[in-house]
Amino acid sequence: MMVIQYKCPDCGADMFFDSESGKLSCDSCGRKDNVEDFPKDFIYNVFTEGETVEYHCKNCGAVILTDTDTTATTCSFCGSGVVLGDRLSGNMAPAKVIPFTISKEEAMKEFKAWCKNGLLTPKGFMTADRVKSIAGMYVPFWLYDLQSKGHADAVCTKVSSYTRGDYIYTETSYYDVHRSVDLQYIKVPVDASEKMNDELMDKLEPYDYSQLKDFNTPYLAGYLAEKYNYDDKQLFSRVKSRTDKYVESYIASTIKGYHTTSYKNKQIDTKQIDAHYTLIPVWMVYYDYNKSEHIFAMNGQTGKVVGKPPISYGKVAAWFTGIASVSFIVLKSVAWIIGGGF
Amino acid sequence: MKNKLHKRNFSIMMLFVFIILIIHPVMAIEETSQKVYDFAGLLTAEEVASLESISNKYSQKRQVDIIILTTKDTQGKDVVQYMEDFYDEKGLGYDKPHGNTAILTIDLEHREVYVAGFYKGEEYLDNSRCDLIREKITPDLSGGDYYEAFQAFIKLSYQYMGVKPGVNPENILFKLWFQVLAAIIVAGFSVIAMAYNSGGRITTRGSTYMDSNNSRITNRIDNYVRTVTTKQKKPSNNSNGSGGGGGGGVSSGGHSHSGSRGSF
Repeated sequence: MMVIQYKCPDCGADMFFDSESGKLSCDSCGRKDNVEDFPKDFIYNVFTEGETVEYHCKNCGAVILTDTDTTATTCSFCGSGVVLGDRLSGNMAPAKVIPFTISKEEAMKEFKAWCKNGLLTPKGFMTADRVKSIAGMYVPFWLYDLQSKGHADAVCTKVSSYTRGDYIYTETSYYDVHRSVDLQYIKVPVDASEKMNDELMDKLEPYDYSQLKDFNTPYLAGYLAEKYNYDDKQLFSRVKSRTDKYVESYIASTIKGYHTTSYKNKQIDTKQIDAHYTLIPVWMVYYDYNKSEHIFAMNGQTGKVVGKPPISYGKVAAWFTGIASVSFIVLKSVAWIIGGGF
Repeated sequence: MKNKLHKRNFSIMMLFVFIILIIHPVMAIEETSQKVYDFAGLLTAEEVASLESISNKYSQKRQVDIIILTTKDTQGKDVVQYMEDFYDEKGLGYDKPHGNTAILTIDLEHREVYVAGFYKGEEYLDNSRCDLIREKITPDLSGGDYYEAFQAFIKLSYQYMGVKPGVNPENILFKLWFQVLAAIIVAGFSVIAMAYNSGGRITTRGSTYMDSNNSRITNRIDNYVRTVTTKQKKPSNNSNGSGGGGGGGVSSGGHSHSGSRGSF
């Protein structure tokens, strides 16, 4: 039960999760099974931690090479999809999962299209013919439900001026402004994997939560998956600093009609209501260009690509010159229209 | 063979172009009239020659004669009167006698300066533009740098007459440095934004995750406290005490003109 593999009951071939149909499917005979119908016993199984050092493929008997964070992979010998049940059980059991909706072929196509659209990327990069590897990975995330109470006191002013005789009068009216807000934020994502670049993962948002499913192991068949390195308590400070900014900007949006606002004090108290351990689908693209590896991540649900592409200085110069010339001509034309000034 | 012929034809054509280019200014010089009337003797012969050539160049471009008139003796007349009489008598004008003219008059006797425009000169150098020009050249005049002042007068008149009447010619939009700087800043910011966004942008905000059904403002106070009023004297238009303004008038010959007078 530690190693979970899915064999087609009809023909005995390996089954994989199919992003298109959202079902566990068999490539050989075309059988498709609903993932929701599979039993979830594994979650309640308790394995002694650290007990397992080696996993063996049930298909070919080879040792499955994994690092300690891997929860799903493919057997490097026979290619069969393997899910490591003991790493997904007990308190390591994910609550939710967003299944892949973009297949490997679609991911490759979307990535190529994205490379072509790069305004500053070098020509050699745009062809995307040097992609070293592309891997579908379920990245562990915490989705936080939060409640934030915010209080802010500010001094705001309204300024008006008028002219009487030889003098210009400036009237500044002062207001004491107070706001209290009680806000709830639902499913704010924070990635819980040590390996993943936080900045990159933040940019992958948003996800469509309507496709959020209760976790079950067949979703992982044929993909890589990792377990979390940080629990929800450890990552709370990260999500808090993010939510605090949301609350601040919300408060600012409720203070309207003033010319200046200066805050005397701000108090934001964010509490965690709940945190859902969720696996998020990401296509990782490794691209060799100019002897260095560039890593890109693609949202496996929406196709959004993030990651720093190389920048062509020639293109930067070309854009700079182009925009500068056009702006200059526009300014000249405006000057000419209002005054004919040359 | 054919190629050679082509080359020769081309050379001949270029020669013609050059000849025309060389002859053209010569022809232009032939039709020039006197622009500098330095009765007060403020300039050297070389300075007069140089101002004549600058003024001729710019006068032609704007189709308005740009005249400099200096005197030590106004024969008891006011500087405006003196200038009007000079205009009537000489029949100044680019297009016809008593035509388009911009004229700077220096009265050394009373240390007064008068900038005026006739016809197209009046239309394009209205009183406020004459004020601007006069204010700009007054420091040089006070300092005795007549040549610099006259040169500035010619160039400013030329510049201002290139701007539609009624528009402030000192608008920052007309400044080349501003146009260049603004273009560079726009381009710089655009390219930086492009580079910054090339790795993907954060497209979620607080509203993405806020549950609006369970979020609300629980307390909202906007208390008026007090109003503070400050007063400030309006900046006066006369920037120096040399007594400016004046405006235009009509010469005894019936020629209307704009103008701005001041002392230096």
